[in-house]
Amino acid sequence: MSIQVRNVSKNFGNFSALNGVSLDIEPGELVALLGPSGSGKTTLLRVIAGLERPDSGQIYFSGEDTTETRVQEREVGFVFQHYALFRHMTIFENVAFGLRVRPRKERPAEAEVQERVHKLLNLVQLDWLADRYPHQLSGGQRQRIALARALAIEPKVLLLDEPFGALDAKVRKELRRWLRRLHDEINLTSVFVTHDQEEALEVADRIVVVNQGKIEQVGTPEAVYDHPATAFVYQFLGNVNQFHGRVRRGIATFGSKTLAAPEHETVEDAAATAYVRPHDIDIARAPGIASMPATVSHALRVGPVVRLELSRDDNGELVEVEVPRERFDDLGVAAGNVVHLTPRRAKVFLETPHAAVGARP
Amino acid sequence: MASIPFSRPEPLAPPPALSLARIPWVPIVLTTIALTYLALFLFVPLAAVFHEALKKGWGVYLAAIADPDAWSAIKLTLLAAVIAVPLNLVFGVAAAWAIAKFDFRGKNLLITLIDLPFSVSPVISGLIYVLIFGLQGWLGPWLAAHDLKIIFAVPGIVLATLFVTFPFVARELIPLMQAQGREEEEAAAVLGASGWQTLWRVTLPNVKWGLLYGVILCNARAMGEFGAVSVVSGHIRGLTNTLPLHIEIVYNEYQFAAAFACASLLALLALVTLALKTLVEARAHKEYSR
Repeated sequence: MSIQVRNVSKNFGNFSALNGVSLDIEPGELVALLGPSGSGKTTLLRVIAGLERPDSGQIYFSGEDTTETRVQEREVGFVFQHYALFRHMTIFENVAFGLRVRPRKERPAEAEVQERVHKLLNLVQLDWLADRYPHQLSGGQRQRIALARALAIEPKVLLLDEPFGALDAKVRKELRRWLRRLHDEINLTSVFVTHDQEEALEVADRIVVVNQGKIEQVGTPEAVYDHPATAFVYQFLGNVNQFHGRVRRGIATFGSKTLAAPEHETVEDAAATAYVRPHDIDIARAPGIASMPATVSHALRVGPVVRLELSRDDNGELVEVEVPRERFDDLGVAAGNVVHLTPRRAKVFLETPHAAVGARP
Repeated sequence: MASIPFSRPEPLAPPPALSLARIPWVPIVLTTIALTYLALFLFVPLAAVFHEALKKGWGVYLAAIADPDAWSAIKLTLLAAVIAVPLNLVFGVAAAWAIAKFDFRGKNLLITLIDLPFSVSPVISGLIYVLIFGLQGWLGPWLAAHDLKIIFAVPGIVLATLFVTFPFVARELIPLMQAQGREEEEAAAVLGASGWQTLWRVTLPNVKWGLLYGVILCNARAMGEFGAVSVVSGHIRGLTNTLPLHIEIVYNEYQFAAAFACASLLALLALVTLALKTLVEARAHKEYSR
């Protein structure tokens, strides 16, 4: 089933949680809503579920307006951040809840309830816990039970709020892969909220980057990582170096370094920032054309890469560079050495966005 | 290689135990003071009640309780509790549910109003009803014209009991429900449960021990209430005397053994309440702490 979000706004008092958000989710997709805390991503998920009413805008399920449909009738599966398992019920009864509260005419017979619940518990590989209570389970087990409970009502969409947020790193990684496999198996349109970029990049078909109640960018993990549409996306996804300078008619100047910025050809003169990923910077002992001298402060070996922290010699700003371990060994640099940096790839954003020709900050 | 090791913070020393407790005689002195206080103001009076009640033997004791006036006072006390406790149970659940699970205007006002009977002197609570329903009160002439008697009659006693006991259940449930949050109710709603189904299957089972605890306290207060009931009762023997009022009258007539015999019933109620309360607290602690 597809989901369309049309121009949805939601305020809590003076705080604008969502500000005219529109989004299309295709049937069978696994979409991540990614953003910092307070960006409005959870509110968007709750609006889709029907747990919050939007102040304006519409939600469509398969083209049908469901904005006014009560949460009980939306047929969505929702997995809460802290699982929200019913603490006084056994695991079996938790999963069976959605079937037992149906109107008498639609309620399945006890034998069918038994069969369906055990099938779901087998799906999440926890059938042996059926008679336990939620407090007797580990975090990862509770998470899977919450998922089984959500799936029991055969929802049209599955919505997950920070599904791995409360788990430790190892369990989180396992569960992440497991969720991806499960999604490929049952192929249910799914949306999950996360503030962890790694999680979004690894699991989702598409990523929706949310910031301050607005969508910054929608795209595949590769697209948002390699071609960030805004300065915010650049900063939020992965590490990035910022070089502050000015753009004049397509030429960006950052200290002693100039870059071609053809996309800003019409800009007369404006403050700008160049964003460069740490692994997009070349490092050499000898100065090159338009390279940038910097002093190594420290070097940290992290698995197969070496992460260098340097300070620029012209203005003292901090620069982070990542090089493969072999390259680092070849260079033979240590703290205190002066090296020369050349950005391979940079993206220049104006600091006052949409500055018109001739605008002076 | 120039990697900089992370400096591990020193493990924190355990906080020093309250330094007074290290002086050997301090705990002993404190315990002695507390126990003496309890003995003087709680155990001795309690023992005195039963001692005085049985001073003239079991015959007098049973006769005092079997006295028709005493018996009617017991029945009236039970009647007031049987009406007040269920009503306050329903009200308490409704108010706590509204306050803990929903947002609405005037919520703080409602919380303040629920606390009102705690902050108003019981005598004033009784007087309010006299001022409203009494012969000289606002509704007095109308009630008299329709031959309805509230003050100095059973309805007044029930009303006064209701008023002084209505915070107990709500007050017990509100913090508990607030601490449990709304997620389970939201989960129930997403799974298709109606409001009633959510209340019966999710919310109430989660607060059952708190609810029972509130009911026990509410009942104890309903049966023991003196001030408010005294104002509206009129002290008509055999008709509008509750057990606490009956005790006062008998005592004022120098029938000490009879007065203490009836008082021992209330003391027994207090002991039973205390035992139940401890039991419920232990069960609740076991369940909520997981």
